[in-house]
Amino acid sequence: MKKRVIVACGGAVATSTIAANKVVELCKNNGIDVEICQCRISEIASNLPADLIVTTSNVRRDYGIPLIKGMPFISGMGVEKTEANILKVLNQ
Amino acid sequence: MIWEELDRELILTELEAENFEEVFEKLGGVVTEVGYAKDTYVRALINREKEYPTGLDASGVGIAIPHTDISHVIKSGTAIAKLTKPVTFIQMGTEDEEVEVQLIFMLAVKDPKSHLTKLQTIITMIQDPEFLKKLIEADDVDSIIEIIKEKEGTL
Repeated sequence: MKKRVIVACGGAVATSTIAANKVVELCKNNGIDVEICQCRISEIASNLPADLIVTTSNVRRDYGIPLIKGMPFISGMGVEKTEANILKVLNQ
Repeated sequence: MIWEELDRELILTELEAENFEEVFEKLGGVVTEVGYAKDTYVRALINREKEYPTGLDASGVGIAIPHTDISHVIKSGTAIAKLTKPVTFIQMGTEDEEVEVQLIFMLAVKDPKSHLTKLQTIITMIQDPEFLKKLIEADDVDSIIEIIKEKEGTL
């Protein structure tokens, strides 16, 4: 089944563009059929439902689905762990 | 290639500032004056940084990648500044984790989709602490461009 992932940042300009691309690559390499929705933090709610939210900004709100911080895709630190967490959610 | 597109006017080797607002006013001011952004750019950068901080601890080197909504941008460009003394930023994705920033990569992004490759190149480069340390040690614009050119050649 196709998975839907929301990738969000403050302005949907730079960091979510990078993170979205990383998630696409990750899913492709692991045989996961994925649909990415890139948006601003303020637009997350209107883009639900989804299987996962990946965000490069601080989000306090609970959207009722898993949320994974995508900062490692930007800083380069902790990428493997983040990728493993994303795969764990999408392989469920 | 990034280095070929770098605008020398957007590279500052000695930027002195007390706080991030002053960094944005000075570097964002240059970006605006040179014609990459509208007058609303600096204010938008400051407001956005408060809500969505862009400081990063890149393996021990503090950097920031301030950017803002495309509506404030006229054309895409990258401004680089070395700070004469570290300025405190909040780390991306946190509310209060501080990072002492020495290098600024200010992004003027007009069309994120078409600049994906360029953005990725910049992000890949800033993940290399050795590259960042070389930039911090560079003292003129030519050296900075040369270091970026060299790094891009390895990607």
